[in-house]
Amino acid sequence: MRKEQILTKIEKFKRCGQRFLPEPVCEEILSFYDIPTPPAQLARESGEAVELARQIGFPVVLKVISPQIIHKSDAGGVMVNLKSEEEVERAFRKILENAKSYNPKAEIEGIYVQKMAPPGREVIIGAVKDAQFGPVVMFGLGGIFVEVLKDVVFRVAPIDEEEAREMVDEIRGLPILKGVRGEKPIDFDSLSQAISNVSRLVVDFPQIEQFDANPVCVYPDRLYAVDARIILE
Amino acid sequence: MQIDLEKKYSELKCFFEPEGVAVIGASRRTEKLGYQVLKNLIDGGSFTLPHLKGFSGKIFPVNPKADEILGLRCYHSVKDIPERVDLAIICIPAKLVPQAVKDCAEKGVKGINIISAGFAEAGEEGKRLQDEFLKIAKEAGIRIVGPNCLGTLYTPTHLNASFGGFLPLPGEVAFISQSGALMDSVIDWAVKEGYGFSAMISYGNKSDLDAPDFIAWAAKDPYTRAITLYIEGFNDGRYFLEVARRVSSIKPIIAFKAGKTSAGTKAVGSHTGSLAGSYQVYKGAFRQSGVIMADTLTQMFDLAKALAHQPPPEGNRVAIVTNGGGNGVMCADFCEELGIQLPSPPSELIEKLDRTGKMHPAWSRSNPLDIIGDAGPERYEVALEAVMSCDVYDGVIVIQTLQTPTRPMEDAKIVVEMHRKYKKPVIAAFVGGKITEPSVKYLEEHGIPNYNDMDRAAKAMWALMEYGKYLKRRGLHEKGTNLN
Repeated sequence: MRKEQILTKIEKFKRCGQRFLPEPVCEEILSFYDIPTPPAQLARESGEAVELARQIGFPVVLKVISPQIIHKSDAGGVMVNLKSEEEVERAFRKILENAKSYNPKAEIEGIYVQKMAPPGREVIIGAVKDAQFGPVVMFGLGGIFVEVLKDVVFRVAPIDEEEAREMVDEIRGLPILKGVRGEKPIDFDSLSQAISNVSRLVVDFPQIEQFDANPVCVYPDRLYAVDARIILE
Repeated sequence: MQIDLEKKYSELKCFFEPEGVAVIGASRRTEKLGYQVLKNLIDGGSFTLPHLKGFSGKIFPVNPKADEILGLRCYHSVKDIPERVDLAIICIPAKLVPQAVKDCAEKGVKGINIISAGFAEAGEEGKRLQDEFLKIAKEAGIRIVGPNCLGTLYTPTHLNASFGGFLPLPGEVAFISQSGALMDSVIDWAVKEGYGFSAMISYGNKSDLDAPDFIAWAAKDPYTRAITLYIEGFNDGRYFLEVARRVSSIKPIIAFKAGKTSAGTKAVGSHTGSLAGSYQVYKGAFRQSGVIMADTLTQMFDLAKALAHQPPPEGNRVAIVTNGGGNGVMCADFCEELGIQLPSPPSELIEKLDRTGKMHPAWSRSNPLDIIGDAGPERYEVALEAVMSCDVYDGVIVIQTLQTPTRPMEDAKIVVEMHRKYKKPVIAAFVGGKITEPSVKYLEEHGIPNYNDMDRAAKAMWALMEYGKYLKRRGLHEKGTNLN
């Protein structure tokens, strides 16, 4: 996808009054900015989901895709660690049921079949429009660290990889990324690059009001943005 | 955006070094603002203090109903003044301000401090008046400080173009404050502490000029060596970022940001949105632009004192020299918390000191270098000489507690001499009170910042390091860009 195509898509959603971009679109945008996401595809029926899971490789995650369902987990719209065809088939039906009882009017575009990212250290990369500084980018440790300790660092976007690395070095939880108890350090270069790229993304598209890649799973040799959210103005 | 600092400096010079100053709304009645402002210009302040002197240039009171005020000829309009007027200070009711600005435009005034309140901060009608005078000023190329502000003070010209009580002592720190009342009490405190300022600026409603403009001016002001900033918010954060980035590689900027809890962003729906309180974002912007962030106002002035006079260290390795164990340990603790390394003295250094025959046999031989309570000036001299000439250390914190054999003034002279000789950054912690006071004064007059508390001394060293790190980062950056 090219920049103009992204713009066309964003404008289309904006015109429809849809502020939350669907996950597949978020992932397309991320891939344009060289931020890897786990392999995934949209399935419209259970047989298709099983077929996709087989192609992608188990275990997989299934997620509901609906413009009316923003908090997928709250709607019972996410099922993780599915290891077999049977589990995928069952999960597909269950998610549809859950989604319907959560919001009977929800239009279901399909179910997203995504490769389950192996466990890694989780971080958050975000961006938001600040009233005084315009687009700013955020980095922090994910999971409970972001919820409870608010161990996050901001910069005014855009920033280069060197500045992104300074952000990473600034968080209190840095030793976790460097590795404790014999753990290998994470891929700091890929992480810095991803943060810098997110900062460019939000500068390139002023239509974006908020951006979350949470969690981003980081490994010693690469990273995956497992869940992404883009909210338009 | 490339800010032309030179241009900004000459544009704002009228607020600090004006050729002539007019007080529009000057009054004979002592309780009036217009009287106090005029008196501030003539005498440097409305209180009597030995350091005060009046403005070195010409002063013109303006009042349609008076012919003479405080011994000066009074003009009925600013347009009647036969000589050049660079700066006008307006202290008349808000509704009369647009006309006064129009008169200033005709007279060719370059800058106006509008002290009067009752503008954008006071509702719709005030906002309308503010827009009205701004339009006139813009068309005439006049720059405005305020309204609803204290004004500007500049010690080199003894200019108190403000409603502030009196001029501070001369110094090398500029203070730019979003709050006027705060600035008033800072002046009073600073005079008592002997803390000097080059300039003080209260810019109130920032209808035209905002903090970044004054930062840009201060960058080029020859009397300013460090810039301090009290802010609640900017009109344009990105403009600040551009200016601060540019200026912080010339002079250090130290900021205190108030309003930690207010949510600058009301965005919800994402994690990032919920975490983006304005304080966090400011913190990031400050880091990015090399602005040192202080936790308290007092700390801001502490750090500014060090940054104005001491060079940034090459690295983060420090030697502590002390004649008191307790203060040495405390200082070491604070250093560690701040990431300041305290490497052990190399064996050559220990041997060298032992050979001088001036050390106490029980001296610590580790860092902190405890040179024992009976240390006289000679021992301070050999110890300081040893650490300052040693490659292992990038800076020195020298502590002196007052004990019977202690000679504070002689010790202070040695500290100054050693700093001159080796140029390494030195922070002093001559702790005490009455007896120590003259030596502290000597140190500070010779550019060695002194702190009476170990946490403050360590933090000052930390600030020098932070600034040094930023400069280095910028250096690397620029090299990288050149290669491209």
